[in-house]
Amino acid sequence: MRLRALFAIGALPALGASSPTFNRDIAPIVFSHCATCHRPGEAAPFSLLTYADAQKRATQIAALTSSRFMPPWLPEPGKGDFANERRLSASQIRTIRQWAAQGAPEGNPADLPPQPKFVEGWQLGAPDMIVTLDKPYTLAASGSDVFRNFVFRPAVNATRYVRAVEVRPGNKKIVHHANVLIDRSGSSRLRDGQDGAPGFDGMDVKIETQTFDPDSHFLFWKPGTSYSEEPKDMAWRLDPGTDLVLNMHLQPSGKAESLQPSIGLYFTDQAPTRFPMLVQLEHDGALDIPAGRVDFVVKDWLKLPVDVDLLGIYPHAHYLGKDLQGLATLPDGSTRWLIHIPDWDINWQAVYRYKKPLFLPKGTVISMRYTYDNSAQNPRNPSHPPKRVGNGDKSTDEMAHLWLQVLPRSAPDQRMILQESVMRRRLEKYPSDFLAHYSLGALLQAQSMPGEAAEYYRRALLARPGSATVHNALGATLLSGGKAKEAMAEFQQALRLEPGYSNAHYNAARVFLAEERFGDAIEHLRAVIRIDPRDVPALSDLGAAMMATGQTDESIRYLHEAVRLRPDYFNARYNLGQVLAEIGKVDEAASEFRAALKLQPEDADSREALRKIGRE
Amino acid sequence: MRRAFSIAVLAWGIFASSAVLTTLDGRRVDPLANTGAKAVVLLFTRSDCPISNRYAPEVERLYEQFAARGFVFWLVYVDRTESENNIRKHVREFGYRFGALLDRKHELVSLAKPVVTPEAAVYARGQLVYRGRIDNRYVAFGKARQAATEHDLEKVLEEVAAGRTVQPKTTRAIGCFIEDLK
Ligand code: HEC
Repeated sequence: MRLRALFAIGALPALGASSPTFNRDIAPIVFSHCATCHRPGEAAPFSLLTYADAQKRATQIAALTSSRFMPPWLPEPGKGDFANERRLSASQIRTIRQWAAQGAPEGNPADLPPQPKFVEGWQLGAPDMIVTLDKPYTLAASGSDVFRNFVFRPAVNATRYVRAVEVRPGNKKIVHHANVLIDRSGSSRLRDGQDGAPGFDGMDVKIETQTFDPDSHFLFWKPGTSYSEEPKDMAWRLDPGTDLVLNMHLQPSGKAESLQPSIGLYFTDQAPTRFPMLVQLEHDGALDIPAGRVDFVVKDWLKLPVDVDLLGIYPHAHYLGKDLQGLATLPDGSTRWLIHIPDWDINWQAVYRYKKPLFLPKGTVISMRYTYDNSAQNPRNPSHPPKRVGNGDKSTDEMAHLWLQVLPRSAPDQRMILQESVMRRRLEKYPSDFLAHYSLGALLQAQSMPGEAAEYYRRALLARPGSATVHNALGATLLSGGKAKEAMAEFQQALRLEPGYSNAHYNAARVFLAEERFGDAIEHLRAVIRIDPRDVPALSDLGAAMMATGQTDESIRYLHEAVRLRPDYFNARYNLGQVLAEIGKVDEAASEFRAALKLQPEDADSREALRKIGRE
Repeated sequence: MRRAFSIAVLAWGIFASSAVLTTLDGRRVDPLANTGAKAVVLLFTRSDCPISNRYAPEVERLYEQFAARGFVFWLVYVDRTESENNIRKHVREFGYRFGALLDRKHELVSLAKPVVTPEAAVYARGQLVYRGRIDNRYVAFGKARQAATEHDLEKVLEEVAAGRTVQPKTTRAIGCFIEDLK
């Protein structure tokens, strides 16, 4: 060992025989590879900015860099080319070890490079909006790690596009990582605070949405990396009512700690024109790991139906995960490593972004292969003695996930094609799966294939008979296939299961309107408005139904409200024109029809209406 | 075959020489002087070592359990230069309720020979009967169990409390190297 070190020095003529010093050899390494975390206010337990800082821990630094515990970096080099790679080279590690062994000398002050400069506070400048947890959360002094989810409700009153997100954990010393999830369903807020403390427990959060809105971005915090910034044309949509869920991994420090995280949002006016999507390889269903097994393997794969660029990757397992691999097999049969983590450590889990997008042509098979160690020899095993482990969101359960952020290459938006492949693959893994059947139903419905869509919805109902969502979706599909009567039965079933289901009321009203049963339609539309007084399509239809039953004043009132809320909603303009024409307010009617024509220049009905009142 | 920790037998008959140190509240004491205590437990620590800090609740638990049974506990701060104010703040924040010694000249370090913080040394009737880890929660730096499965220090204290003759032993502790503070 000593001999090799001497050779290494001998090979560097500029250094001659002198041994490494802090000022000349160690400071450059520490400033570039350690100081992002090891400085005041950051996640690491002490600063590494001065000679005194480093000298006091020289042996420790040598030991931890040699074992590659520091700087934290899990992926094997050469298997995926990642941005901001933190690994030290073998020669850097050797230099540190030598320096420590020789008494950690300071060296010549003239050799010391200037200290690195860091931005204080928000790294991207003042955010456009900051949301902060109402009340601090208290983490106990001791015990095992805690996985907690905090719900934030950004108060936007119109759709905004988010170009960057920065998380300020509030107490970095106890946070291992944090993940921002977008909840458009409102399901997380129902779980918030149920146990008396802010947020709710769970390592992984499942959010089911009713619309096609696949997750698209990794919004991740880890020590030393506080924000995620997107390219200008790849912002994500934040609608009024959307919640953000901050999923945090917390580690007790030895004293009770208080935590009050904030999220900073940076907006842009530019709506996205490129739409990435998070594709998940997983096989949680195969996780049934016998106690004592050291090499339980879980695999999954997906054949890509379109050309994509791979932007980032996020492997995820819990404490039993040992060796995590991601691979791509190209159509020509050649293989490419996407990532390989040979010694998985959930404490340092992270999203890895590729330096350059990795092109994966249509027909590429992406695959994962995870190995789990459920023996007593795995010190991280949370169960002692080991017990049989299945999938779940507790730390004693396991997961097998590999998330990939992909950007389909060609326009128009090809995410639906991708999603269809994901769901068909899911059906192969889970033949009676609810989510796969429901999603395929929705995808086929969106492609105007009502017959096929209805088939998938019916199978989704076999998996989950009481689902009001599926009854309603099935009804909508039947309606678009011209089967009004069967559709109505589904809407009514949805409403029996969930009397306050706004969309089912609306759909039922549409059937009654088509059958000119205006009284019944009005009843359902009023139910919609009671739930959301700003529901513009319902206001517009209600106006139309009122007009048909001669309740002109009320009709005008609802239609005005609809136009006020959404001046670009064609139906409201047209309906309002009709009522106004009927009561002889010809000028006002004409201006509504013209507004309608501006929105849909080809609309023959509006033209005809204008002609009728002599205002062509 | 695999051993969770290594056991080395310490030489018998070596009685602790005395060392007079200053306590955090300014008194001069010899922690190893014969005061009739069943045993003296030294816990080597420093304020900027995260592993040491994470052990604070466990150390407190052992203190609760054994102080009433005639054991004396001392925290031994091994940083030569850290200000007393800082140390006082540390003791308060982590809720330690027993005395702290400032081992500025590493006198206790030379006697008990701990390698890292946190590490424990147990003296029974003037003799070092245990030196090493508190428990086996940490396996290596960055590799930890969710909870310890071997409570080495507690076991030794139980044996001493029961009046049994204790085979002196050492175990390897994981933590921050004291050598760096030389
Ligand atoms: C990504 C952020 C990050 C970077 C970069 C980083 N560290 Fe750390 N370091 C941490 C955190 C967080 C801890 C605390 C780990 C724990 O508590 O288990 C830590 C702990 C340590 C410790 C152990 C503290 C102890 O218990 O004694 C040492 C030594 C250390 N780092 C040295 C380094 C060195 C040297 C580098 C650069 C070569 C480096 N670190 C780079 C975040 C970082």
